[in-house]
Amino acid sequence: MLNATPVRSQKAARVIDRMSKKLNRQIAGSLAACVHCGLCTSSCHYVQTNPDDPTYAPAYKADRIRKIFKRHFDWTGRVFPWWVGAASVYTDADLEELKDVAFGKCTNCRRCSINCPMGVDFATANRMMRGLLVSVGVMPEGVAVVSKDQWEIGNQMGVLKEEYLDTLEWMSEELSAELEDPTAVIPVDVADADVVYAINPREVKYDPRTIADAAKIFHLAGESWTMPSEGWDMTNFGLFSGDDDLGGAVARRLYEKVVELRGRKLVISECGHGYRSTRCEGPNWAGMDVPFEMESSVLTMLRYIREGRITVDKSRNTTPVTFHDSCNNARSCGLYEEPRELLDLVVTDFREMYPNRSENYCCTGGGGAMSMSEYTPRRLKSARVKAEQLAATGAKVVVTSCHNCVDGLSDLIRHYKLDMQVTQLVNLVATAAVVPARVAVPAAAGRPAPSLAGRRILVVDDEPDVLVFYRSVLEDHGATVVEAADGETALALARREKPDLVTLDLSMPGTDGGMVFEALRRDDTLTDVPVCIITGRPELRRLIYDRAVRPPEGYLDKPVDDETLLRNVRKILEVT
Amino acid sequence: MSELLHFAEHRLQETALAVMASVYALRLVWLFRFRAGRDRQAPTGSRPPAMARGLLYSWLNVGMPWAMESTRTQAGLYAQFVVFHLGVTAAILLSFVIPYAPHWLDSRALVFGFEGVIGAAFVVGLMRFYRRLSQPTMRAISTPDDYFSLALLTVWFLLAVLAAPNRPETNEPILLAYFFMTAFFLLYVPFSKISHYLYYPFTRYYLGRTLTHRGVYPIRRGPASAAVEGRRVLAADAHRRPERSPTC
Ligand code: SF4
Ligand code: SF4
Repeated sequence: MLNATPVRSQKAARVIDRMSKKLNRQIAGSLAACVHCGLCTSSCHYVQTNPDDPTYAPAYKADRIRKIFKRHFDWTGRVFPWWVGAASVYTDADLEELKDVAFGKCTNCRRCSINCPMGVDFATANRMMRGLLVSVGVMPEGVAVVSKDQWEIGNQMGVLKEEYLDTLEWMSEELSAELEDPTAVIPVDVADADVVYAINPREVKYDPRTIADAAKIFHLAGESWTMPSEGWDMTNFGLFSGDDDLGGAVARRLYEKVVELRGRKLVISECGHGYRSTRCEGPNWAGMDVPFEMESSVLTMLRYIREGRITVDKSRNTTPVTFHDSCNNARSCGLYEEPRELLDLVVTDFREMYPNRSENYCCTGGGGAMSMSEYTPRRLKSARVKAEQLAATGAKVVVTSCHNCVDGLSDLIRHYKLDMQVTQLVNLVATAAVVPARVAVPAAAGRPAPSLAGRRILVVDDEPDVLVFYRSVLEDHGATVVEAADGETALALARREKPDLVTLDLSMPGTDGGMVFEALRRDDTLTDVPVCIITGRPELRRLIYDRAVRPPEGYLDKPVDDETLLRNVRKILEVT
Repeated sequence: MSELLHFAEHRLQETALAVMASVYALRLVWLFRFRAGRDRQAPTGSRPPAMARGLLYSWLNVGMPWAMESTRTQAGLYAQFVVFHLGVTAAILLSFVIPYAPHWLDSRALVFGFEGVIGAAFVVGLMRFYRRLSQPTMRAISTPDDYFSLALLTVWFLLAVLAAPNRPETNEPILLAYFFMTAFFLLYVPFSKISHYLYYPFTRYYLGRTLTHRGVYPIRRGPASAAVEGRRVLAADAHRRPERSPTC
């Protein structure tokens, strides 16, 4: 009997077919030119933390893609496949292996690319492979969920329009109160503004303070600015998933909104992949020349200070800080001097991190890694490089201009038990900004905080210290607190006590927070009870957001300070 | 000189060179059939980046060991690279000098020069072979072509060293071996990874174009990078810190 040619699965056939359309000269050159010299090997954070595993070497990972390229698109590989390491993909299992490399062993940080003497840009080839796999439905679950949200709801985190506008309103109120100035508001959909400000949905969901801080800076600078009510998400999961169609659709949505509002400039809040996607790659994916200027809010803030539109007092930021360059900002967009110039103006003790700028190491949560929980142990192991880099600075605060890096760094700081906090430039600038006398900040003691009296709050967490902390903060402000240390008790207490609010940890032994959350939502008597998730494991978000029930009313990352806890509880309970 | 040696030095080399040039041309046609990407983004920075400077930086990268961390921190490997490629250049040059300007080799100094450079490249070839065989990562990324190309060049270096004095009267077998090997080398190169230098200008052009347009090239490092387009950078104490890698 003759040897049968292996049968190729439909998905594998489609990947090969689509590769021919995705390949451009730059990628083909990168795939053809590698000489396997191994010089790039040590530039990868995965290699540094897995020195005995050659499968993490950038050239090895690139060869998983290169072998297909050689087999189908390069004549040497067609004629002598074995000789040049060419091989095809046949089964869905082959594609799963590719998925493991393309998504699970590389954050597309491009550090190996700038360390290759041949100019081989593996990160770009890897993004192409991600896109091919996504096009046949082979991808980590988190990538599928986030992509779906961005396609269907218009932003990566499934933030609904009402939730977004609600948050803007809330932050607007906070700002007016802080500055005692009714004109200090967040303008929405104002036509002909000089600046249209677009943000990351993470700011709405987990970090609304950055919106209020940016609004404060725009207000103090006397800027004519606005935020769009739709198409406001400047992040773009297409960059991570390799899906150029998604990338183009998301970018176009934002550009069209700016055009509709006749905005003169689009200012992009601090986010590495958002900045790269919106300013650099977006016009390519969308296939359009953008008719307005785009800049990072880092440049905007720096200009305001230089032009004297806002005055800053750096003595308000005295804690030692270091700066983490996001890969997308520094290595792909050249944004690395301006953040340092800004830091020089708003902090007193800046400590440089080494290596830095375009040679910096990835936060290890890049390339969408934070949404791929199946690779979390690998990610955290590779994060040792970053942890050592952070610790060596001796700083207490790491500043970064990227929301993705905020999550990645926070997670590794927790994992490696570093005594550090993560913040962004906008927070430091807002703190340092001197408010002119006409909008003097009232003394904190001058305004009595609204009471939570009469509110019954069920706090659920398996850590006794955390329960004690929540109880003391909430009871000090008049709330009645009921505690549960596990899921079953939480459900029983919720049914008995009918609380006004449940704060819920996700990671608990037995019935986890996700199951408790769904049970609450599906119980007719409890379905309207607002829930605030408070977790130290952001990678477990899918336990909540993957469920076909109404999303939680609040979400906080641990550790939570008393002010944040109270602000969020008040917001959810509408106590103002 | 025997007829065979004359054939090997002239007709064989010319034929091999012509074949190599044709296959190279086909390789370029193949590469250019892939569409070139277009970058629509506005250039980074208040002034358009100096594209010519960035491209030059990208192309000359290979001669600037300080430009990349990988060459800065692996100086030994970089030195090997330099010696190896000088050896290739010298061995190719020798294959033209012997047939077309043999009187050059009347100079003992020049023969020593060829022998020294190509001999050093031969030693580096052996070291590279050892590295490729002994390191698990290098083994994992090596194909039969990688081993064969390296072995081919290393043996070729040895033959070139022995052929350098150009003594057909006493050393014809070595000269024959050197020229037949050179011809084989020329014919094999376009099909192997040795053709990488054909791609070098293109891969470095595209990477250089993108990274210059986006303000990344030429790479700046702290704390040495001070003023950028006339602006002040860095906190004062950063200048006192030595650069170091956190993992070395
Ligand atoms: S990618 Fe570049 S540095 Fe890495 S092995 Fe290939 S040629 Fe060498
Ligand atoms: S792009 Fe970054 S994570 Fe991926 S292989 Fe290169 S250095 Fe490693």
